Amino acid sequence: MKKFFYKSSMLALAAGMLLTSCDPEIDSANPSSGELNLENYVAVGNSLTAGYQDNGLYLEGQLNSYPAILAQQFAFAGGGEFKQPLFSDAQRNGSGYLRLTGFASPTSPTLTPVRENLAVVGMGQDGKTPLLAPYLEPINNLGIPGIRMADVSTPGYGFNNPMGFNPYYERILPDDVTPTGALLPYVNRVAASNPTFFTMWLGNNDVLGYATSGGIAPITPSNTFQSNLDAMVNALVGQNAAKGAIINIPDVTAVPFFTTKATAQIMQSAAAAKTKLYIIDKDNQMREAKATDYILLTSTVGTPETVGTNQIPHGFSPFNPLANSEVLDEAEVAAVKAATVDFNNKLAAAAQAKNLALVDMNTFFNSIKGGFAQNGVAYSPTFITGNLFSLDAVHLTPRGYAIVANEIIKNINSKYNASIPQVDVTQYRAVLLP
Amino acid sequence: MKSKLLALFGSALLSGTAMAGGYQVNLASQRQIGMGHTGTGIETGTSSIFFNPGAMSFIRQNGITIGASALSSKIAYKPSESNITTEADNGISTPFHVYGAYKVDDLLTVGLGVYTPFGSGVNWGTEWNGRFGLNEIDLKAIFFQPTVSYKVSDKLGLGVGFVVATGAVNLQRVLPVQNAQGAEGGIELDGGAKTGFGVNVGAFFQATEKFSIGIDYRSKIELEVEGGDVLFTNVPAAARGNFPEGTEFSAMLPLPATLSLGLGYKVNEQLTLAADVSHVGWSAYESLRFNFTQPVGGSNVSESARNYDDAFIYRIGAEYQLNDKLALRAGAYYDQTPVQDGYLTPETPDADSRGISGGIGYAFSDKFSVDASFLYINKKERTDTAEFSRGVSGTFKSVAYIPGLALNYNF
Repeated sequence: MKKFFYKSSMLALAAGMLLTSCDPEIDSANPSSGELNLENYVAVGNSLTAGYQDNGLYLEGQLNSYPAILAQQFAFAGGGEFKQPLFSDAQRNGSGYLRLTGFASPTSPTLTPVRENLAVVGMGQDGKTPLLAPYLEPINNLGIPGIRMADVSTPGYGFNNPMGFNPYYERILPDDVTPTGALLPYVNRVAASNPTFFTMWLGNNDVLGYATSGGIAPITPSNTFQSNLDAMVNALVGQNAAKGAIINIPDVTAVPFFTTKATAQIMQSAAAAKTKLYIIDKDNQMREAKATDYILLTSTVGTPETVGTNQIPHGFSPFNPLANSEVLDEAEVAAVKAATVDFNNKLAAAAQAKNLALVDMNTFFNSIKGGFAQNGVAYSPTFITGNLFSLDAVHLTPRGYAIVANEIIKNINSKYNASIPQVDVTQYRAVLLP
Repeated sequence: MKSKLLALFGSALLSGTAMAGGYQVNLASQRQIGMGHTGTGIETGTSSIFFNPGAMSFIRQNGITIGASALSSKIAYKPSESNITTEADNGISTPFHVYGAYKVDDLLTVGLGVYTPFGSGVNWGTEWNGRFGLNEIDLKAIFFQPTVSYKVSDKLGLGVGFVVATGAVNLQRVLPVQNAQGAEGGIELDGGAKTGFGVNVGAFFQATEKFSIGIDYRSKIELEVEGGDVLFTNVPAAARGNFPEGTEFSAMLPLPATLSLGLGYKVNEQLTLAADVSHVGWSAYESLRFNFTQPVGGSNVSESARNYDDAFIYRIGAEYQLNDKLALRAGAYYDQTPVQDGYLTPETPDADSRGISGGIGYAFSDKFSVDASFLYINKKERTDTAEFSRGVSGTFKSVAYIPGLALNYNF
């Protein structure tokens, strides 16, 4: 009887296993590029496009750049090969970057620079800009960290010279000092890339440089922005009449670089210490801080400093106010917001004029200020724990870039009747903890 | 910390992937699985202990039945707007049942049933995009039911069983924290349930020679875990304060009441038809709440809404006695999902399900017979945002193939 039971149950088991090869299936529309030709996708932009994160450009960030993610998804719908100016594995830490190695206190992370395996190959003529390993092959990702719309038509922007230059552009240009070599303006390089489809996320640095310097670096003049924007769009659309997506500029106050050292909270600490928080404003006047001023992440606010004979937290005395460069004061915030609106209007008009997709990243980042949850993970623009922003508090984590890539895909799909699949963002990392 | 009772059993035997609505597992008798799992309105032999204790006093011989199913379920998942499908690898689980019934005299019959009416076993792995909600669950419940049945008249039988239930739960999730090497943390909740009590009461009425009717009520039982272990893996030092070692959890899971009404009709000596309708009191499952002895992720409580609806199951089945030895069976059922829109979860990615079944019975002698069954379950494809359950949005589709075998010995 035992034997019979064994035999029969084995038989039943075998029958069961045979049948289980009939798996459940979920029907879905096949990926399609709709009206798009994705054979030669070219991405133009700044550090965000290059895959900059943790205050540096390095191989991991490049591999997880949003254009790389887009190209990977485009490949399901006829997308072509996508080349990036990748650092070699031996030089994988690129420009160097910051790593989180501990917490001095729960609110103050210890960020340690990575100095090994860099791609730094020398010092520039200006004596301060490190040169990076050149990459002269044709590339699809033309993201240049630091570039502003104001820079795109400047000859010599990537030329190693004593007046200063952009090392990320320098590394992808040839050395011959000619208008088509080392002196080539960015817009010309873009035109030569001959895209069949493009994304452009440019203009952030035209306001961000001003904002992260506490109002010291200039905001790009409106007319310069317009003429360079027109040149860029013409270069991209070109003779192919290429289709593309223009991505606009998020609000800086949505970024943890400006929100982590929350002014209102620090003012409360000052009040608790029976004093007030003082700053130097835009016009070099000392005044009490307001909740509408933004203290930069790089500020040393609260660090004990000697004032007269006393140790007083930095900023907590009219004799030791926060420097202009530590604060984006109320008036400067207003200037940044006005310029952002102005530039975004111009980007929108350009997209409309050429019938291109407009990805409203400004609205997207505003919509997630309060945080959101996806697949059981909480996201917010909170430094370190928010999962979206990398250790420089301005650029995104790979997870953040993947979320941005999906936002772009949504817009492309709806504009061009395409059905490009979104990426599984959970396959990309957030902040790594020690 | 695990229930001692449970430790007596090989744990692999107990798990049953929930392939009925919610986490109910309706595989209580091989003969009845063959007939679409009907059985409330007919005398089903020893398994009347489960289907309707009122009918147990109508059995003609003492008997022992032992049976099990090999449940293999496949669940596919695709996130919206994606082209990647994930499939849960649930392995094979083996819900089982053992019944013994003894006729004390013509009127009184006593019996004992051991069966596994609830359970869930789903393994999504640690890579899918819903892993922060769930990567693996193993829920086991086992019921022991001593039963008495009394034949009030030639036509009416009443029966009552006292249910002693226990079980265990193991739930694993990936934590959204990554160490310096990029490895993600994990949390595992593991605990044995305290003993729960309930009843299974039934009445059976043989209205005419051909026509019978039965009603059965199985009460709700709370499966309660106290002092379950919370285990963390791979948590980076910087986040360890959020996930303290030595934490214990408690939780309560309702195993809902089921009220069934069944009809039986003997067309002739060979052919028996049966139909059942069951009402399952799933609304008892309002939320899944874990209480922790220390804050986990900053909170002593993890609660997510379930808000199940009561659901109905409709069943039909037939048995054809080809000759003295061989019986052929077939059946089908429709099982409503208790899960409302917006509440789908990866531990029970439930949808209205359709089951069809077939089976054979073969009597080797007056004393010894076997029943074999095969059940195919196909759940409707379901797309859900999971916005209220903190689940995983996307499309789920499940099928299951369930062969089973039982041995009967009459004396």
